[in-house]
Amino acid sequence: MLMHQLPERFVSWQRIVLAVLACAATTLLATPLLDYLALANIVMLFLLTVLLVAVSLGRSAAVLAAVLSVLLFDFFFVPPRFSLAVHDYQYLVTFAVMLATALITGQLAAGLQQKAREARIREQRTQALYEVARQLAGALALAQVSEIARQFVRYQLDAEALILLLEGQQQTVDEKSATPALRIETHLAYMAQESGKPVRSAELAGSGYASLYLPLPASMRIRGVLALAFPADAADLPAENLALLEALASLIAIAVERLHYVEVAQATQLDMLSERLRSSILSALSHDLRTPLTALVGLADSLFLIKPALPPAALETAQALHEQAERLASLVGNLLDMARLNAGKVTLRREWQPLEEVIGASIKLLGGALGAHPVRVALPADLPLLEFDAVLLERVFCNLLENAAKYSPDGSDIEITAQQLGDFIEVCVCDHGQGFPACGRDDLFDMFVRGQGAAGKPGTGLGLAICRAIVEAHGGQISAGNRPAGGACLRFTLPRGLPPVLEEESA
Amino acid sequence: MSCPRPRVLLIEDEKQIRRFVRIAVEEEGCQVSEAETMAQGLVEAGLGKPDLLIVDLGLPDGNGIDLIRDVRGWSDVPILILSARAQENDKIDALDAGADDYLTKPFSVGELRARVRALLRRRARSGDAATPIIEFGRVSVDLSRRLVARAGVAVHLTPLEYRLLASLLAHPGKVMTQRTLLREIWGPSYVESSHYLRVYVGHLRQKLEDDPTQPQHFLTETGVGYRFQP
Repeated sequence: MLMHQLPERFVSWQRIVLAVLACAATTLLATPLLDYLALANIVMLFLLTVLLVAVSLGRSAAVLAAVLSVLLFDFFFVPPRFSLAVHDYQYLVTFAVMLATALITGQLAAGLQQKAREARIREQRTQALYEVARQLAGALALAQVSEIARQFVRYQLDAEALILLLEGQQQTVDEKSATPALRIETHLAYMAQESGKPVRSAELAGSGYASLYLPLPASMRIRGVLALAFPADAADLPAENLALLEALASLIAIAVERLHYVEVAQATQLDMLSERLRSSILSALSHDLRTPLTALVGLADSLFLIKPALPPAALETAQALHEQAERLASLVGNLLDMARLNAGKVTLRREWQPLEEVIGASIKLLGGALGAHPVRVALPADLPLLEFDAVLLERVFCNLLENAAKYSPDGSDIEITAQQLGDFIEVCVCDHGQGFPACGRDDLFDMFVRGQGAAGKPGTGLGLAICRAIVEAHGGQISAGNRPAGGACLRFTLPRGLPPVLEEESA
Repeated sequence: MSCPRPRVLLIEDEKQIRRFVRIAVEEEGCQVSEAETMAQGLVEAGLGKPDLLIVDLGLPDGNGIDLIRDVRGWSDVPILILSARAQENDKIDALDAGADDYLTKPFSVGELRARVRALLRRRARSGDAATPIIEFGRVSVDLSRRLVARAGVAVHLTPLEYRLLASLLAHPGKVMTQRTLLREIWGPSYVESSHYLRVYVGHLRQKLEDDPTQPQHFLTETGVGYRFQP
């Protein structure tokens, strides 16, 4: 059942006929009573008729009945009967009063009736809105929200509705609810979304295009647009219908927002769970791989402690065993680091600290691995504190220094310098080796890619990939180049940021 | 001079690791007892009165950190941690719980022996009366008169720098977590302001180290804290 607009029982021509019939019936009823009743009372009968017509048939029927009653009264009852002429001019007053009374009571009654009807409709709509609010509160998916909205709009306004969720430049129409009957002008939908105000289309109603776009305002932002297409005869939307639709739009917006946050919460929880799983797998793997490696390294070392001492050849083997085990350990370390860095988000433990410190720690950590390569650190005195994860940046420096030591002749310097470049600090680690071959420098930072001439050296091609992952996680960039004077130069940047203020102590 | 042999209790679940650690520690002239589990380790630690505890953080029946807390409740025996985990948090927690030093697996026998030696030496020295003058490198610090000199030249330290220096000197060889140092010197409300600590350690290095960029005495334990190496 459709309950659009006012629920009228009769169409207008029926109402006119009924009003005429009512007046005629009153005339017929009153004619035999003319002998018993005074004319004044017959006037009352007509007034009663007008009142009843007004109550039941509305305003225009009441006016018609009022005029008709006066004419009929004059024609059939006022002497001379069966003529519109009047002998006694007093009756003109009667006519005037009768007409006025009939019109006024008719108007009042009809107005009252309409008010009552409107109140009923309002109540019914409020009820329907409550119902929609209740249903929306229980909706678990966008498709459900969309279906509830469509039912409501169809039932209340005989219109078609569609919820559009416009996210960025991507239009995600809730595809299940896309009625072929309702076509969308996307730019109007965006206009409504951006302005936050209803947008009306110039398209003719009934053309299949939506004619009204209502924004869906939720507490955080506008969540989307409700597009509506009205039947042909309802193009001019009464204010109360617009108000109803706006109320509906708010309810939909709240529902959409709630669903959005439910989704966000679920995704976060899923992320957290998978993150936890990943890190527990990695740390179990790390433990399981490192335990035998530790035993291997330690047991190889302990061969040196056996008394009496083993022959030199055996000790040489023990030393080789130790070195190989350590290489394996560093390889495992690199693989695990790469896995950790690649496994989704890298969580940085960022702290404000001087660059100098992490460089010193890296050099200390490498110790013998640097061999005969003195490291010269030349940082500007006014280098600000930087915000970084010291453990990860130590990996970067260790990898870069190790590379530099590996690919440059013994005894040559390795230089670490830094300079300010706009909003970034650029750090360079340079050596005096052969440098990189002219082409193919960028893929050096891909996993398992090794430079030309690296074939003879131990390594897996993970070091620079790890460096890149770490530097990029910090919001910087890493690149490889050669110095004009010869030698490779690896540069990476770190954002300068806003270092915290240090309270100076008075000393 | 006949010292009794120091007793070392090794709590580690992996048999092969126990084997070489025992060999290495015995080489340092120690008497080694072993425990495989946390429960057994606690009993041994209570009965044996060891001079040094070597504890693996990942024990089958519990967290090594709990064991450290428990032991610290009644003893100040030096504790060396063996950690297979890459996460710095575990080390920090263990150090905050009262451990003295840590080794990350895999480690060489040489490193292990050096740490054991340092911890036992400190244990022996802590019995002596504290000497008012501490010397390291070219630096001498007179704790009784609050005087610091480098290569015979007096060095001026601010009050905070001096307090930081004194804190580090009080625990030679021990890894001090950032948190501990910040609380000791700046107070509990500064435990998250690690940049203060870093800047002041930088000052100490500038004033006392020969090459501040490659320090020999005020060492960084990256992600964990600092260690003073005499």
